[in-house]
Amino acid sequence: MYDVPAPMDTNGRVDETCQAAARDDGSGSPIALPSRRTVLAGMVSVIAATLIPRASAEVAPNAGRDTFLALSAIIAGPRAVDGPLARRLFDALQEDDPSFAASAGALLDLVNEQHLDSSGLQQALDATHPELAALPRRVASAWFMGIVGKDEKARCVAYESALGSVIVADRLRPPTYAYGPYASWAAQPA
Amino acid sequence: MTEPSSADFVVIGSGIIGCVTSLKFLQRGASVLILEAGPRVVRDEIVARFRDSPRRGDWMSPYPPAPWAPHPIYQPKDSGYLVQAGPYPYPAEYIRQVGGTTWHWAAHAWRLVPNDLRIHSLYGVGVDWPFDYEALDAHYQDAEETLGVSGAPDTGSPRSKPFPMEPVAEPWAMRRLRERLAPAYPVVTNTTARNSRSYDGRPACCGNNSCQPICPIDAQFHGGIAAAKAEAAGARLLPNANVYRIEHDASGRIVAVHYYDPQKVSHRVTGKNFILAANGIESPRLLLLSASDKYPQGLANSSGMVGRNLMDHPSTSLTFDAEEELWLGRGPQSPSSINTLRDGAFRSEHAPYRLDFTNISRIAGTTQSLIDEGVYGAEFERRLRFSAAHELNVKTVLEVLPHPENRITLSDQKDAMGIPKPQAHYSIDEYTRRAAVVANADFARIAELMGGANLRYSKEGNFANNQHICGTMSMGNDAASSVVDGFGRSHDHENLFITSTGVLPTAGTCNSTLTGLAVALRTAAHVLGDAPAPPHA
Repeated sequence: MYDVPAPMDTNGRVDETCQAAARDDGSGSPIALPSRRTVLAGMVSVIAATLIPRASAEVAPNAGRDTFLALSAIIAGPRAVDGPLARRLFDALQEDDPSFAASAGALLDLVNEQHLDSSGLQQALDATHPELAALPRRVASAWFMGIVGKDEKARCVAYESALGSVIVADRLRPPTYAYGPYASWAAQPA
Repeated sequence: MTEPSSADFVVIGSGIIGCVTSLKFLQRGASVLILEAGPRVVRDEIVARFRDSPRRGDWMSPYPPAPWAPHPIYQPKDSGYLVQAGPYPYPAEYIRQVGGTTWHWAAHAWRLVPNDLRIHSLYGVGVDWPFDYEALDAHYQDAEETLGVSGAPDTGSPRSKPFPMEPVAEPWAMRRLRERLAPAYPVVTNTTARNSRSYDGRPACCGNNSCQPICPIDAQFHGGIAAAKAEAAGARLLPNANVYRIEHDASGRIVAVHYYDPQKVSHRVTGKNFILAANGIESPRLLLLSASDKYPQGLANSSGMVGRNLMDHPSTSLTFDAEEELWLGRGPQSPSSINTLRDGAFRSEHAPYRLDFTNISRIAGTTQSLIDEGVYGAEFERRLRFSAAHELNVKTVLEVLPHPENRITLSDQKDAMGIPKPQAHYSIDEYTRRAAVVANADFARIAELMGGANLRYSKEGNFANNQHICGTMSMGNDAASSVVDGFGRSHDHENLFITSTGVLPTAGTCNSTLTGLAVALRTAAHVLGDAPAPPHA
């Protein structure tokens, strides 16, 4: 069963890609707010971002993804937790650009060295490290929009589980998902 | 099964107008063959394509064209199908698939206001129609009952019978606009082909907020439904039949049309009457493509007016942040508007307009903007929620006047089938531009009444297009200045009728589909011998 809080929306065939992402994110509802546990996990990731030594990251079997998760916590915030969606986003980013993991490693090193956080990250890169300046936007696009790649190469990896939808899930449904029974939208959002 | 090769009525184009008009002929026992250039499409696949699309603001992305029936595509790059001759770009969008372009409309189904049909007499601009508003009332009603139209009574368009349905329930954001803009601006629920209750076997709206590009539950009418109705009533609908030439005999009567199948094998179909219903760009293109020794300028073109008087509705807009939380995106996309500026003595000086409020979720646009800006982490979440809750947008829907130099012609370039592409020549005149300046004061007042901040006007001189293609095969009583008569019959070919938004002599300030359909139903009544009244002089 395709589990979304939109019981009247039963007509659209959902693509296999996005359906898998929705099923697998472990929350049971792809557009529910994160549980306290997942928020805490995200906070751990933020802390981890400052603790992962570059050298050990290179030898660990999942080093590329760990680096991606550490960067994700900074760029996309505490909702960007490990799980099937994170794996799919990472795989898609790596597939789109085989040097993604290496660039992410370089960016994480810089973040650690200069103690950068989300608020000054883009400006710092634009000013001093243009070779890494495109990377945060690619990570942000993956998490917030579920989109990886540009122009003709762009593809959707997530839809209703993209964080742009999750962040407002207490007020809005992603387009194509039913808001609710007829006239339910007449009430004040609460 | 042998492909059909003859019918009483051969209809070119399977959009709302072609299919609903066909119903009238079928109900009288006539045989109808509908030829559609593009393939059949399925609603669920369109929904899936939209969700899968990396371009969520590109409402053409779920409608990729078939190679044998191209239509304009602009993202991720311009396919170059609709050639732009300038001086102002005319990036029209339409869909060449069974059901046509209303697969992805906002379902606005307005009637004109009565004075829209007399702007030359009343205001000294544009042209008068060959009949008056009263001649359309019954056909409007017929069209509204077929489509399932819901609406409010107080929008300036008189009617002799009630709407088929009550207005669709008002989203909270639109209620607050209505309350805060009164009495300066009356905000009314839009007239739409959207169900406010179960109607004709289709459910009431449940607020999927994807009316464009696709309603996932058919709570709004579209051409695919019209095509299914026509087929259920006995029409033979042939997809993937790209008509490239209309054939006439020595007397000028139309005898056949020729179409390519996807392998570019040519087929010939004969008929007694021919209905051209292939939208305001492809229809004049086909007439021009059908030039012959007898008609070197193209068919139906003794006036030289085929393709001319191209009109649409340009829009300017204001985006701002309201002081209270409104959360656009709950309910249908386009629920409410201001209709009090559609007519008035000012029409001698500048264009009239509707003011239209969007209810499209701000998430996709704001997310992209914040990423472009380099906003991440907690600040991203804070700003996304703020914009999603507070952002409002209002746009003008401006009338443009018919000008012969705004036109569709044949390009020197050819499409994948080797057929000359359509070419657009377009400009926006001072009459329309003056209205955009006037409307800026309305924008400012609306923002003020909503406690608005962070006002973002569309760039001066920039107009968004609304894909309300009309005027390219204008109707009129004068054969020297129009393409069809007041009943849609070609002045040059007695058995060729044009049913299309292309026949509308002026554009008014409302979406053209319902009026195009009402005019087409008037044509059908005339063809069938039961026209209610002769045209007014």
